[in-house]
Amino acid sequence: MRKSIPLFSLKVGALLVWSFLVIPIANAHFLQTSSSNDAWTDSTAIDDETSDKSSFLPWSLTVWGQHRSNTMDHQLGQLLVRGGNIERSLVDAARKVQGGQMGTFGFSSGFQLQARSKHMWKETNLRLCGSMQVRWIGDSRWTPEMYDLVLIGNAGHLGRRDVLDGTGARSSAWINAALGVEGKHQNRAELGLVYRPFQYEGVIETGYFYVNESLDDLHASLRAKARISRKAGWGLSLNAEWHFLREEAPFAFHVQLRNFGAVLAPNPLRFEVDTMLETSGLPLTGAGWSIASLQEEGAVEGLYTVDSSGVDLQLLPGRLDMSFEYPLTPRMGWDVQVQVGEWMPLPRAISGLRRAFGKHWQVGVQLVAGGWGRARPAAWARWRMPNERAVMIYIEDPWGWGGGSAYGRGITLRYESL
Amino acid sequence: MALTGIACLTVFFFASSCKRQPTTWEVEVAIPLVDDLLDWSEVVGDSIVTIESGAPAVIRFDGVISELDFESLAQLPDTLVAQQLTPDFSGGPFEIPPGAVLLDIEEDITFQGIDQQFTSIVLKSGRIEYSVESSTDGYVEMQYNFPSVMVAGQPVELEVVLPPSVSGQFQIETGVIDLSGASIDLTGTSGDEVNRIASELMIGTPAFIEDTAQVYGSDSILVSMHFRDLLVQQVAGYFGQEALDFDVEQKVFDSEVFTGGFLEINPTRALLSFNNTLAADIRLDLDALQVDGINVGHEQLGIPQFISRADWSSGEVEPAVWTMDLLETGPDIFELLGYLPEWVTVQGDGLLNPLGDVSGGQDFYDSRYPPQLKLDLEWPLRGVIDQFGIEQTFDFSGADLPHFEGDLVLRLTNGFPISWEFNVEWMHPNGAFESEFFEGSVPSFSDEYSDSSAMEWRIPVSELQLIGPSQFVFSAHMDSEGEVIFTGNERLRLQVAIEGTHQVAVE
Repeated sequence: MRKSIPLFSLKVGALLVWSFLVIPIANAHFLQTSSSNDAWTDSTAIDDETSDKSSFLPWSLTVWGQHRSNTMDHQLGQLLVRGGNIERSLVDAARKVQGGQMGTFGFSSGFQLQARSKHMWKETNLRLCGSMQVRWIGDSRWTPEMYDLVLIGNAGHLGRRDVLDGTGARSSAWINAALGVEGKHQNRAELGLVYRPFQYEGVIETGYFYVNESLDDLHASLRAKARISRKAGWGLSLNAEWHFLREEAPFAFHVQLRNFGAVLAPNPLRFEVDTMLETSGLPLTGAGWSIASLQEEGAVEGLYTVDSSGVDLQLLPGRLDMSFEYPLTPRMGWDVQVQVGEWMPLPRAISGLRRAFGKHWQVGVQLVAGGWGRARPAAWARWRMPNERAVMIYIEDPWGWGGGSAYGRGITLRYESL
Repeated sequence: MALTGIACLTVFFFASSCKRQPTTWEVEVAIPLVDDLLDWSEVVGDSIVTIESGAPAVIRFDGVISELDFESLAQLPDTLVAQQLTPDFSGGPFEIPPGAVLLDIEEDITFQGIDQQFTSIVLKSGRIEYSVESSTDGYVEMQYNFPSVMVAGQPVELEVVLPPSVSGQFQIETGVIDLSGASIDLTGTSGDEVNRIASELMIGTPAFIEDTAQVYGSDSILVSMHFRDLLVQQVAGYFGQEALDFDVEQKVFDSEVFTGGFLEINPTRALLSFNNTLAADIRLDLDALQVDGINVGHEQLGIPQFISRADWSSGEVEPAVWTMDLLETGPDIFELLGYLPEWVTVQGDGLLNPLGDVSGGQDFYDSRYPPQLKLDLEWPLRGVIDQFGIEQTFDFSGADLPHFEGDLVLRLTNGFPISWEFNVEWMHPNGAFESEFFEGSVPSFSDEYSDSSAMEWRIPVSELQLIGPSQFVFSAHMDSEGEVIFTGNERLRLQVAIEGTHQVAVE
């Protein structure tokens, strides 16, 4: 089936291109700040406020991808995702790591294009800016008992009540094309048009499963909801940045807000289950719950409800980043960053050291904690090229790229036209 | 489109690096599947039966075996009444002033095809579908009154005004009058007739519209009233001498479940009765009472039984009751029932109003209270049980449990004071596996603190045995070796659980 983009979205796209390329370029003073994004650590370098000698439109392109779990290592994760037989030893190892905590797995990937005009808007200190993001994120959580039931089975813990509350999974992908204004110190605010092709989410609100030791008593309860988009949704979002950068201050502070908004989702499929079964076994025949009736076609259809009427207003999984940078020496600095939102089960905290080598190189090492996983290291390097451009690479959990025992990995690549 | 393309490329980039093959792992499951009880309610096999616990327990049945259906009294035939009014001249036009009456008649609508002589009815449901057509160049007013048809205490009256027709075209109005709950006097305009509804039809030009109709000789006015789907709740009159079919066949024991043996049945009361709720006499001619084809004799069989009419004078029914004591049969019907027969049949016929219209047209029938054949049975559960056998077959459609290896756990708990000899046959219709047999004896229930009355078998099963359709045939029999007193709480409990390892595969 051929799908068409509404005329409105084409107009918005054309306006963005026009605003980036056609607006007259003028000399301007600016501070060079690398924007943080998903797996990024801010590295703020306060450049001299010199005239803009570049003949290019100042823009940057960032591409990233990362996944992480607090219990499942690469080997188990790859088997779940790519397929293959899962050995019991892997299952047991992950279960031991999980202990009594909720298990989590999440991923985030996408790219972001940012640009701003070279000229100030008329006689003001404002200039036009814009960005386009494509993001795909996912989040899943499970109780230890759910893990046992699914990957180990119930035979090993008869007589225990398995609590399933809070187990769920969700994923969403969207495109955000935003236009706004940028002021002094690169403080900016953008209003974005959001196009969301799909989102699904399902969660067990309450649930349990119990079989007694003599195998003649089963209690099961499930109250769960799920929602799957059937049509693309449209919405609006707000992106904003505020930077505290002063020549006279010995530190810098940054706040970033991304994808703070909502989407209208037409006619999503909504499933609801609210059922309970307490049985010592089912009768062989008869109406209602019986072995014979369950073998009939459509027997389970009465256990759930389906609805797809109306329109749902759904919040975007926005994110708030706050970072603090402090120079230790003229060539070395310390930074701290906290990220919340984007369905991360815990705030993601980052702390690290940076050092400059010569005029063109900066490198840093960091410790990352929270998000979907446990504490892990990260490292980055930035090369400022002589022709007013810069490239950057950021690697989270470098050991995750070589072996199967790490619990995630992440990489971010960035190209900047300064 | 470009935005969608970028999104698709991103998804493709991450997805294409993964070549998906099924993910598999092994889980250990242990789940109860079946818990079924066999008790006395299964044996007597009727939900109306009650079992009073005690020593001995008493099985009671006091209910209806069958009801007599009088279709001829419960529904009236559809009836169409049509009137056509045409001028008795040719040419025209002739001017007809406002307020002129063209037709005014009183007549009876007769219901055809009724053998009975009804004087009044109350309808459960029904309707009149009407149609009025006019080709007159002027306003036409029609009023159709049914003074003997009352709905919610008001007579049914239909009034229609049709606008002028244009160039020979018919002006038409149709509609429906709901007759649910209608009370209808069927004695006609004279009050002495039967099966007739009094009606009054008036056609003319409306006085309240200032219009002069132009009538031609070729004009016509058509009125049709169609009485449809008239279901009767109450009817009175004379019902005539209608022959009644009185063959009753009652299934007692399902031979596929009760495979044989003897169960001593010694009821203390067993009355078969016929409750005549009609205000009309009935003559009953019962020719035979049979148990699986074996004739049972009784002094009332073969002799006409006159059952008088019910009394409805108080507005509540006082049925006339005819009874037959089944304890006086020869041979003893319950000795025959002890051999677990499948069918009990009663053959005979009857006649309504065998003496004619002795009440002077005062017969009465309410479809909510049909005549009934009832049984009042009291059976203390005490006696000899000899090779009493039961069998149940369960069709299993199959389950896909990849690489399953484990046991089907079969557990029987005997709550009877008699031991059960037990057999299970697991059959695979496709012939892929030989049938498997399991047998054993489940000891009688003797001590509530003892678990000796339970037995458990573990049957090794594999994926291939479970994947196809199969049949489980459970059969058991018991032998009391003398008289036993049952408390009514006896149960045979069958439990099935599954325990083992199987491979989960996610494509």
